Amino acid sequence: MDILNMMMGQGVVSTLADQLHNLFMLLFDNAVVAGFLMKCVGIGAILGIISVAAIVFTYGERKVCAFMQVRIGPNRVGGRFGLLQPIADMLKLMSKEDIIPQGCDRVVWALGPMLLFVPTALIYAFFPFDNGVALADVNVGIFLMLAISSQAVLPFLISGYASNSKYAFIGGMRTVAQMLSYEAPMVFSLLGVVMLSGSMRMSDIVNAQSEQLWFILMQPIAFVVFVISATAETNRVPFDLVEGEAEIVAGPFAEYSGMRWALFFLAEYANLLSVSILTTVFFLGGWNGPFLPGVVWFGLKVLAMVFVFMWFRWTFPRTRIDQMLAFSWKILLPLALVNVLFTGVGIYARQWM
Amino acid sequence: MFGEGLLTGMGVTWKHFWGKKETFCYPEEKLPMTERFRGGHLVLDHKKCIACSLCSLACPNQAIKLKIVPDAKKKRHMQSYVHLVGRCLYCNLCVEACNMHALSWDKNYAISSWHKEEMEDELVTAEGLAYFHEVMEKAKAEAEAEAKVAAEKAEAEKTGGDA
Repeated sequence: MDILNMMMGQGVVSTLADQLHNLFMLLFDNAVVAGFLMKCVGIGAILGIISVAAIVFTYGERKVCAFMQVRIGPNRVGGRFGLLQPIADMLKLMSKEDIIPQGCDRVVWALGPMLLFVPTALIYAFFPFDNGVALADVNVGIFLMLAISSQAVLPFLISGYASNSKYAFIGGMRTVAQMLSYEAPMVFSLLGVVMLSGSMRMSDIVNAQSEQLWFILMQPIAFVVFVISATAETNRVPFDLVEGEAEIVAGPFAEYSGMRWALFFLAEYANLLSVSILTTVFFLGGWNGPFLPGVVWFGLKVLAMVFVFMWFRWTFPRTRIDQMLAFSWKILLPLALVNVLFTGVGIYARQWM
Repeated sequence: MFGEGLLTGMGVTWKHFWGKKETFCYPEEKLPMTERFRGGHLVLDHKKCIACSLCSLACPNQAIKLKIVPDAKKKRHMQSYVHLVGRCLYCNLCVEACNMHALSWDKNYAISSWHKEEMEDELVTAEGLAYFHEVMEKAKAEAEAEAKVAAEKAEAEKTGGDA
């Protein structure tokens, strides 16, 4: 009965957090210290989620890719299903030589991958993983999230610039063009969601979806625009012009090796996870769902979205840069604006019904 | 138009995602070879073989070294059948020459070896050798029994003739 209450009422994670908080209160008898420790635990949990996600997604990506190409993927390291493949990949990356290109701006060059990880990890603070489980459930959540995630443009540019390589620099320039162009339709597609839920707080948006329908049904155009621009924001195929291998080697990553390159890799998968979480929160009803605890529902929806993004990646060919920018400014942005207009009209019309 | 082709493409990858895979995990799984595949080692069915040595005669490269032993009843038996794999050109003439269909290929293509001594393949297995000895013993016993009977008969005739 106790377990049932826990699962139905408050949620597994927040119950756990409450008990941990009580333990800290018992140990230190000081609300400030306990609160600080709880925040540390939260940060540790988020970093843990990101690293576990990177490990699981490298394996998942290889398997999904292989299955879609009628192969079977990793099947040697760690048994029949190659379960230890990500560990082998990681060991390989860690044991690689750290090559510093000649004539690069060394400080900025070294700073690039580290800086890239900061905004990527920072936006996890606003995600509601379950009812009442968010590190910082601020009332301008979406706004802050967008502001911080758009900072990810700069590390790409500086690592491209500091590498002293023309391919890397072209890649860096492309990143700026691409990520700034796709920020606009992304923001406007989220505007419809914000108008419907009447709040920028992420947990309020999820709650609004439990009262009304899921927003994927009420805002299908916004959903499509958001998913497309999110793919572009994470620099994944079909919009992976930043690292278009066939054209510019690996873009800004071209001059990095070993663990520095692995940091880019980590940031890419952290971005993939955060974009999937955002889609879940804004359009798929967050933690809402029958029978299972909220966290489980949340996890399932996020993994489904991750699969969709991988599905995109292994289906579509890469676009050209001009096609991609034209698509953003000439199609996605007007669509998102029209969606905002119709949402406004709809909300206005409902007041008179 | 309007992303129709994209959806078609996603349908294709979705089907392939759940469909059968083309990859074989090679050392664990092996592709079955076709009916007429020539390669690997020869296999001798020691019960069918009549030791006629037609296979050895048919071989253009003299890749088959036989040791044929006649038993006590003058019937020929195979004691040793050495296939010199290094000389073999896999022409299949030996298999075709066999009237009793006692020769066949084992269709195992992974037969590379470290030393040239390993390229002399003995086809008469331990089981086949045991069979060979058994048959030899049996023939010897039968021949002895026959000789005994013949001797007794001769003896009887001799004494009968005397009487």
